[in-house]
Amino acid sequence: MLRLPPAAATAAWSLRRLPPPLRLPLLVGLLLSLALALLPATLPALPQAPATTVRLLMPAPFVDATAPLVATFNREHRELQIELVRGPLDSEAISDLAIGSLLLGASPYDLLLMDGSWTARYAAAGWLEPLETWLGDDALAGLMPGARLGNAFAGHLWRMPLTADTGLLYWRTDLMPQPPRSTAELERIAVDLQAAGKVRWGYVWQGRQYEGLSCVMLEALQAFGGRWWEPQQGSSAGRTSLDSAAALQAAAWLEGLVHKGISPPAVADFAENEALQLFAAGDAAFLRNWPYAWREIEKGGGPVRGRVGVTTVVGAPGQRGGGTLGTWGLSLLRGSDHPREAAAVIRWFTGPVVQKALVLDQGYAPTWTSLYADPELQRRHPLLEVQRQALEQGPLLRPLTPLYAQLSDLLQRRINGMLSGAETAAAAMGDAQRASEELLASTSGEAAR
Amino acid sequence: MSPAPSPRPARRQHGSAVWLMLPAFLLLAIVFLGPLLQAVWLSGQASSLLTGLQPVANGGANWQRLLGDGRFWQDTVFTLRFALVSVGLELVLGLAMALLLHRPGRGGGLLRALALLPWALPGTVLALGWRWIFQAPYGPLNALIQFLGGQPYGFLTTPATTWLFAVVADVWKSTPFVALLLLAGLQAIPAELEESLQLEGASRAQILRRLILPLLGPWIRLAVLFRLAQALGLFDLVQVLTRGGPAGSTESLALYAYLQAMRFLDFGYSATVVVATFLLLAVLTLLGWLLLRWGRGRERDRQRGRPVSPAAAGGAG
Repeated sequence: MLRLPPAAATAAWSLRRLPPPLRLPLLVGLLLSLALALLPATLPALPQAPATTVRLLMPAPFVDATAPLVATFNREHRELQIELVRGPLDSEAISDLAIGSLLLGASPYDLLLMDGSWTARYAAAGWLEPLETWLGDDALAGLMPGARLGNAFAGHLWRMPLTADTGLLYWRTDLMPQPPRSTAELERIAVDLQAAGKVRWGYVWQGRQYEGLSCVMLEALQAFGGRWWEPQQGSSAGRTSLDSAAALQAAAWLEGLVHKGISPPAVADFAENEALQLFAAGDAAFLRNWPYAWREIEKGGGPVRGRVGVTTVVGAPGQRGGGTLGTWGLSLLRGSDHPREAAAVIRWFTGPVVQKALVLDQGYAPTWTSLYADPELQRRHPLLEVQRQALEQGPLLRPLTPLYAQLSDLLQRRINGMLSGAETAAAAMGDAQRASEELLASTSGEAAR
Repeated sequence: MSPAPSPRPARRQHGSAVWLMLPAFLLLAIVFLGPLLQAVWLSGQASSLLTGLQPVANGGANWQRLLGDGRFWQDTVFTLRFALVSVGLELVLGLAMALLLHRPGRGGGLLRALALLPWALPGTVLALGWRWIFQAPYGPLNALIQFLGGQPYGFLTTPATTWLFAVVADVWKSTPFVALLLLAGLQAIPAELEESLQLEGASRAQILRRLILPLLGPWIRLAVLFRLAQALGLFDLVQVLTRGGPAGSTESLALYAYLQAMRFLDFGYSATVVVATFLLLAVLTLLGWLLLRWGRGRERDRQRGRPVSPAAAGGAG
């Protein structure tokens, strides 16, 4: 039986006052909760391995594609080990995961594979180390000019690009002898083919309310000579110009594609895969998509296999078209314990060896100019030439501002509303412009108008 | 010298009551009033990446932006719709469940414990379970549909209907809570009253309408108040089940405020969303409270045998 010291036994709240069956459980419970409260929050770390380990967080498909190369690297470099951490597939989810730990102060990762549209936000939040310190001021010198865009912000290099994908236009070689050179030509070919009953739909693209629609809209703006974002000279600030005449024409063009029956109404709910599936089934003459779509079509063995051509995104007559830059790149997270080693990993990982494997394995566009002249790549990856053209033509950069995610969100909402018939093109763009101005005013500390 | 005993013990009791309540008031002020006042202040500031996360007064620009923010209004509609529909369903199902559990019988204790299981489950675990059940096209529910010869349905990917399945998951979790509250109310109704009504030949429906529902009134009000406050603050279920999607159709106001802060690092605007949500809840709760008070007043009038209103005076009897 439990013996209590006399002082405790005489105290008014003594355990003796409790009915005997309750005494022992109560005491054990109290001691247990005390022990739990005093237990250190984390278990002691295992003894450190002698080698430096650099932890790299990236979406799972990149881990799968690069794991064999990393295994070789780890065998050859005993003192420097790379640990790949599998992140979620969805790019927004992996960003949330990274931000969650960055907001807490110390990130468990040294490197993060970043989407191009995050760079300004992460840099402004102070979560990244400037890379020029480790990689030198000429780190981007060997890259295609188009691939250099969007990695620097406010005078520093924050990201070393691993891929250089742009939006591309897919067309059916069995339905037309030549790809269109302008939006007007595309429309005419599509209407003729539909009228002749050769194909159900003319042109499919991404109209769902998500980031892909912003990429499509950016291409439409460029096609009609409009701009989304006008950066202010000498500062990271800027303004939107979504209610310009050219911007209205761009929105009206997308709206017209649905209205005229060139694009199916369901395009308002299409992401990359839905559009790709419809095109791969032979139900559309044109498709807007990223480079990966070509491999999917050729791999899939559907009715259009071997009948697909790829070209750069077209502009309106007299305008230069361009594809949106949608790239991944490596950044060094602030607070890394071994930035020098992590920078060495960036250099190797974004170097030609890994990129070549990614091109052959996944169809990503490489960033290095030298790889575009590589005979093996040219032979085994027929898309390389059009990827080079797209990068030389001047790919389109999404607004380089810390507010990009919010600007993109509000534009997607209006454009998607327009595509599903809730708003006219003029109203949608007027709304988007007004909402963008209010966003800029409320976040920059200017007074309300 | 010891103080003389107070001549008015009631007064002293009053004084000590204030002192005894003070810690609770202090705690409330620290954990509730403080953050709320801070959010109100922050909603008048820009505190974003453009200001280096430092607060800079922006003269109401956050509030102007809120008025034109389609996402905020869409989330408001979803949050209200979700809360009203799920609390309504929980009330009906919870009452039915309470009536069933109230019947005396063998194994009643075990049944009650089992019925409470969903409520005891952590919200995130429950949401993960439902996400698996609703998964298209390979989840168990779609497997059943396909087995019966139907087409798989995108339960969590169809913007027009996904909110309904969030309601289903919430009703499954919270109905036991409502049932438990109402069961406590049922236990408090004297059995003799029901028996005497039965002797007088009242049907089950009449007993329910005339005896049980009126006496259960305070418990129903309590359940509605608890559940409404919880449902309007919806966060964990949608964060795990749908992450607010598809196309933002299941994004709650709490989730939006969270995203503004944690994803966009726009703390000034996040505070604005929080304060706006609080105002909305306060207005709704006040309306609900007034409605209940009005209902209670009518009840009391009826009990005193007075006509409900002058207009109904002629017909009352």
